Amino acid sequence: MSVSARPAFTPRKALFVALCLLPGVAFVALFTYWPMVRGSVMAFQRYNLFDLTETPFVGLENFRAVLAEPRFWTALRNTGTWVGVSLALQFLLGFGLALLLRRHFRGRGLYQAWVFFPWAMSGFLIGLLWRWMFNGQFGVINDLLLKAGVIEERIGFLATPGWAMTSVIIANVWYGVTFFAIMIMAALQSVPRELYEAAAVDGASKVRQFWHVTLPHIRPTLTLIVLLRIIWILNFPDLIYSMTGGGPAGGTDIVTTFLIQQVTGGDYGRAGAVGLLVLGLLLAFAIFYLTVTRSDETSR
Amino acid sequence: MRSAVLAALSATTLVLAGCGSGSSSSSGGEVRLRMIESLTSPDRTKLIKSLLADFEKANPGVKVELVSPPLDSADQKITQILQTGKGLDVLEVRDHTAKSFANNGWLAELPTTAWPGWAELTPLAQKKAVEVGGKPYLIPYGFYQRALFYRTDWGMSAPPATWQELYEAARKMTGDGRYGYSFRGGKGGADYAVQMISAYNGEALDPEKSFYLKDKRTIFSTPQAAQALELFVKIFKEASPPDSVSWGYPEMVQGFASGVTGMLIQDPEVIKTVEESGLRNWSTAPIPKGPTGYAFQPVGYAGWGVTSFTRHKAEATKLVQFLSEPAQSIRFAKGNSLIPIAKRAQSDPQFSQGAWKAYLEAQQDPKQVITIRPVDYPGWSQFLVDSDRDVQSLLTGKTTVAEVLKSWDAFWTDQARKVGE
Amino acid sequence: MRRLAKTAVLAAWLLITVFPLYWILVTSLKPKSEIFSMPLRYWPSRVTFEHYRELFEFADFGTYLVNSLLVSLAAAAAVTAIGVLGGYTLARFSFPGRGALMLAFLVTQMIPLFIALGPLYLLMSDLDLLNRLAGLMLVYVAMLVPFSTVIMRGFYERIPVALEEAAQVDGASRLAAMVRVVIPVMLPGIAATYIFAFVQCWNELFLAITFIDSEDAKTIPVAMNSFITQYDIDWGSMAAATVVSVIPTLVMFAAIRRYIVEGLTAGAVKG
Repeated sequence: MSVSARPAFTPRKALFVALCLLPGVAFVALFTYWPMVRGSVMAFQRYNLFDLTETPFVGLENFRAVLAEPRFWTALRNTGTWVGVSLALQFLLGFGLALLLRRHFRGRGLYQAWVFFPWAMSGFLIGLLWRWMFNGQFGVINDLLLKAGVIEERIGFLATPGWAMTSVIIANVWYGVTFFAIMIMAALQSVPRELYEAAAVDGASKVRQFWHVTLPHIRPTLTLIVLLRIIWILNFPDLIYSMTGGGPAGGTDIVTTFLIQQVTGGDYGRAGAVGLLVLGLLLAFAIFYLTVTRSDETSR
Repeated sequence: MRSAVLAALSATTLVLAGCGSGSSSSSGGEVRLRMIESLTSPDRTKLIKSLLADFEKANPGVKVELVSPPLDSADQKITQILQTGKGLDVLEVRDHTAKSFANNGWLAELPTTAWPGWAELTPLAQKKAVEVGGKPYLIPYGFYQRALFYRTDWGMSAPPATWQELYEAARKMTGDGRYGYSFRGGKGGADYAVQMISAYNGEALDPEKSFYLKDKRTIFSTPQAAQALELFVKIFKEASPPDSVSWGYPEMVQGFASGVTGMLIQDPEVIKTVEESGLRNWSTAPIPKGPTGYAFQPVGYAGWGVTSFTRHKAEATKLVQFLSEPAQSIRFAKGNSLIPIAKRAQSDPQFSQGAWKAYLEAQQDPKQVITIRPVDYPGWSQFLVDSDRDVQSLLTGKTTVAEVLKSWDAFWTDQARKVGE
Repeated sequence: MRRLAKTAVLAAWLLITVFPLYWILVTSLKPKSEIFSMPLRYWPSRVTFEHYRELFEFADFGTYLVNSLLVSLAAAAAVTAIGVLGGYTLARFSFPGRGALMLAFLVTQMIPLFIALGPLYLLMSDLDLLNRLAGLMLVYVAMLVPFSTVIMRGFYERIPVALEEAAQVDGASRLAAMVRVVIPVMLPGIAATYIFAFVQCWNELFLAITFIDSEDAKTIPVAMNSFITQYDIDWGSMAAATVVSVIPTLVMFAAIRRYIVEGLTAGAVKG
């Protein structure tokens, strides 16, 4: 928060604030919240595109149907793996990369330009790219592993449930390390140099400096970007969708690809129910996460 | 830097204010029709566009805009547009969307005998045109029926006549990076399981409602169904690429055309794909039969229809009729290698020779039975999605033959109750 | 020794990052027959631009490129402008409902897109915005407003209030102070926000395929999605399209890379 006190609130200022906020609020209300509310209402209706002659309210029937579906629970478990493993690897590798790139060296700019490249691509493209590389017949990964003698026959990476999940996670890590590297680098640069100098004067080692100066200083940033990243990984299924479509046998289905299937199946009622469940889960998680990290911070 | 950003800010806002697409209705006495296709592919789109150009030439003052959504979401897109009740005049209707489009009141009735072209259609085409609710909501443009494609140079003297023979032949072909059979375990895979189960049920099956037996039980309830599904899994495990657990249409065709697999069961449009791939030593045969000598399959179809809310009904109807006249429909059937709708085409050598012979042979065999699937039951689209997943679960060992059949049996028994049978 | 290890790690990571891109480039330059043939070639026997030619001759990729550029440039501009205004008020004023607003913005990030897609489609149809670049732009703006507003707020909070107050003492109005004094200081942040928004719009797939199906209004992702045809994913064209479509973002990114890292420091530290 800014240091000086905020100016007192007068009608003139209220008008200014309202005018400044109006465009943003209007957009979000009209194009995000209004459709979401209507979509949520559908969750309580029988609303199937293939028969719209009647769309009666059916209470919680769609929710019951979804919760009774074993695939929903599989998708939920997969979501845990997908988000957890992807996030952990992205974070660790991204952090490592950011640390290595902290100091200036010759060609750093060029290096960054190349290494940050995946950031410019979409999940959809990245899914296709890796789908092509993981192809069981003509995929380059099989070819390389065969040449290196690691495997003896081609693996149907995207065809075997365990491998499929591993494959999509690899693609996702490849994609997401950049995000963390950029964000963490940014955060590292925000640590005032004087703090290090002071620590050095006190004779603290590099490792101690890291634990006692760097980490506490960038902690709030880390907390926030991790939360944002979790939401993103979960809510943007384009990578999985273009890479495996959730297959094989639901082996890479996460809650959001499951949701897409409901929409594709034309059942907007069930889609609404899944959507609300996902939203509820994310909200609950965000509140829990922020409470835990905040109380952690104040206890320090 | 600063000026660049500011310039970008202002310039783009200005440019955007003046742009938008002018794809709406009539302007200056000209009629603009909007038409959407479903089973899209680049070659097909090109062909349709050239047919549309002919139509525009023959009908000055009418322009047609063709919308070609990607295949995998095309029907959803069409449904979505229909739901808004505007912005569409002519559309592709498929056998499994016809019922729901008609139910929602989105399709206009087309003239039948009042249109001279009607008499030029084959009896099958006439029958399918009025299949939904007895009303002519579409004119089919062609039919799909499956045949067995096989390599003649992989040590097989004659094509397998039964599923058991196919399994044995496929196993012999497998090895050295080659596989016997282009399996479909991904989207649409359950259809192949159902096809085998149908064949194994033999004469007991009711062709008019092909998921049921003549005694009203489902085809999934019999011991023969279990035999069929066991063999289905064996063909996958012992004679198909492991990757094929997720193969859909493109992969299975690619697998055969690129020489990875030795046999493929598919629709006639594959003839063209395989011919173009440069593969030489291959032939076709009717689909394999069950132990009692029967094979069942539906005849797939799709056609052109007119929306109920079009503002240019006369022109839209004219377009559908134009596309369904023999000259155009035969061109279309040839371009996509479909079974044609024009009576006249039956004497056309292209549809009776070479790879097409298998289809003629099947048509003449009384034990190759054409069926009607319960596409008009409320749970049909749900089953399409669910059953594919069940098949994948079965192939990856997450469930068993007995469990899959039990759930399918329960599903269709329930469906029968819902429609009051 | 440590330097050597560091160099080795960096080199390894570079290889891992670049290889998939190399592979897509090679695929785009291979003749059709070579893409599906064994053994795999790591460099085409004959470099061909046939896939690129196809893109522009048959697929009308030029139109898609222009459409994508127009929508992304304009939407990013609008979003940035809205963020500049909204972020300012959120940073400088405390008013009733401020917390609720921030929360409402945060929640938008959690709404699964697909729950809203059906109703949004009907809304767009009612507003006659389907198949229009302007319509797509409006939806993109809505999608990115929460992000741009919150991140701009972060940038403002980094600037001492004294700076504006000094300007206001000189008799300038609040708005004038903002435009003349604050915004210049904010430029790196504005640039970062703009680029980020641009990339998001440039890459967006699901909204675009929902709202656009006319040839003349397609954006690049919509067109690429069409390459997934019934017969086969045409990997040659797909690869070529990938290469073409990452060029603009790459150029933008390279041009202001420094600002991005600097800019995000401010935006992210406060949040």
